[in-house]
Amino acid sequence: MLEVKNLTKYYGDLLAVDDVSFRIEEGEFATLLGPSGCGKSTTLHAIAGLIDASSGSVHLRGKDVSDVAPYERNIGLVFQHSALFPHMTVEENLRYGLKMQNFDGDHDDQVQKYLEMVQMADHADHKPDELSGGQQRRISFARALVYEPDILLLDEPLTGLDRVLREDMRNEIRSIQQEVDVTTLHVTHDQSEALSMSDRVIVMNDGRKEQVGHPTELYERPETEFVAEFLGQSTKFQGELVDSPSPIVQAGSREIHVKTNGRFDPADGEEVSTYIRPEEITVYRSPQANGDVNTFTGTVRDIEYLGHRAELEIELGDGTVVTAFSQTSDELDIDDEVAVQFDPEKVICV
Amino acid sequence: MNLGTVRLPEMPSLSMLRDRSTAKLLMAIGLGWLTIFFIVPVVVLLFESLNFGEGSLLENYSTALSGTYLRTLGRTMAYAFITTIVCLVLAYWIAYYIAFKAKRQMLMLGFVLLPLWVAIIIRYFGVSLFFLPTGPVQQTFGTDFGVLFSTTGVIVGLTSALLPFAILPIYNSLQSIDEELINASQVLGARPMSTLRTVIFPLSLSGVIASALFVYILAAGSFLAPAILGGPGDFMMANVIEQSFSYSIPLAAALSVVFTVALLILIGIFNHYANISEVLGDL
Repeated sequence: MLEVKNLTKYYGDLLAVDDVSFRIEEGEFATLLGPSGCGKSTTLHAIAGLIDASSGSVHLRGKDVSDVAPYERNIGLVFQHSALFPHMTVEENLRYGLKMQNFDGDHDDQVQKYLEMVQMADHADHKPDELSGGQQRRISFARALVYEPDILLLDEPLTGLDRVLREDMRNEIRSIQQEVDVTTLHVTHDQSEALSMSDRVIVMNDGRKEQVGHPTELYERPETEFVAEFLGQSTKFQGELVDSPSPIVQAGSREIHVKTNGRFDPADGEEVSTYIRPEEITVYRSPQANGDVNTFTGTVRDIEYLGHRAELEIELGDGTVVTAFSQTSDELDIDDEVAVQFDPEKVICV
Repeated sequence: MNLGTVRLPEMPSLSMLRDRSTAKLLMAIGLGWLTIFFIVPVVVLLFESLNFGEGSLLENYSTALSGTYLRTLGRTMAYAFITTIVCLVLAYWIAYYIAFKAKRQMLMLGFVLLPLWVAIIIRYFGVSLFFLPTGPVQQTFGTDFGVLFSTTGVIVGLTSALLPFAILPIYNSLQSIDEELINASQVLGARPMSTLRTVIFPLSLSGVIASALFVYILAAGSFLAPAILGGPGDFMMANVIEQSFSYSIPLAAALSVVFTVALLILIGIFNHYANISEVLGDL
């Protein structure tokens, strides 16, 4: 459906996008995820034709559109700050694309249908500045879909909305996307947005593609340190891999037992980063040496109460700080001595 | 119609002045200045224009509104109108280029502003030298295209003198258009000309209106352009008022009042179609 091949973009000497390639299948909801300045927006703009790539190509429905002007690409784009035309009413904003694209079909019906889809039919005659931020996003979304584009691009469309509204809009965007069945590429720096909405996530960092995969795949089996650290929380142990008799990462004086399950095959003595997610760590109230592997003692340094659970910062003997969760019924206090334990199976190795 | 507003430099607000008495003093100076040098002269002018001798009280006005004077008034408005149209077309083109195409915007704006450093009379002489029999146009083409000492000369002179005043507000309004709106228009399928017509132009209308207003008023009040570049039949109101001042101050006063009122009426009509106070809201 959409295929980006070896996309590279220089701004002067600055390399913004570095040889990025990926493809999205028909009907998929894909997300370009990365911190600001990672090149995800530049990639999106190159797909829309709003900037010229330095090299590489963009293919839409099998056709190379790299040299096609944006007004001939039949793309829908929702901008970061909605970018509705302030001198036109809501209805005129929607009609604009239909008219410019010479949309085949009844324009009135189409406008009505999409205004209803985003629940804004009552606001057809309003000017954009009479609408709230959330309403503007809805119109912007309808405007990008009304002429039935081949692909929908979302450039951080929820920027600047408050948290509750963002979460509502997230679900709504996802359900409209499925209803219309439009292939969608979404750009965001918000990992929870990316993980909750997408069929496929393309993680970018520093102009490069880090990893592509389903959200669970990225979270459970990150392939690079960046992905492991960027998605979710984790505690990192770094050291040399020693393979005797089962694989162990020697992080200072600490031995981290890991299970590589064939996915990961480093040579003996190689430097390895291991990560353990807070939800995989069990916290024991009294430090006991029960002989289990990956059991370490430490002191509770910080407790952040989150309602359904608490987030703990536990400092181990060598100063390493482990992030773990505890049930709030555990009644732990700061400076309590505790033990943490985790299953070798759950250790992520990169 | 909502036309947006032109951004103009902000005035320091009075609340910024800590001492209230200082604020009052400053205001008194301002108001005093305005009273002595504007309101009083206008009142004197109005008084001067009336005829307290023999004949009708408004005799000077009936002269001012008759024959050649009325034609001059009409000519003044027409010249100002033509100058405004020519200026707007050229200014929009230049401002568009600077705002969207030029690599070095500040340098280009510098060139636009450069002529303002030269006294206007010198610029008009420059224009006339350009078209004189010894000037480059005559030398190259063997004709001055009938520019010098003609209506065309006046329009050419006024346009060249007033163009910067037309470019700046338009440039300002083009500059403040959110680039994303232009991108949106393109992605929605509009070709560059359609984007210009349906998005860029409507959103820069406030600048166009401000430019039109500046140029029209400045052009209508022009004295030097017709005096230096025009023929005998190209006199405008300012020239006629200056001339009559030497033999009849009451007539000059009446002509001034007629001219001012006519301009105000025109601005009023203009305001009816394009809400000026909205455009210049920040003034």
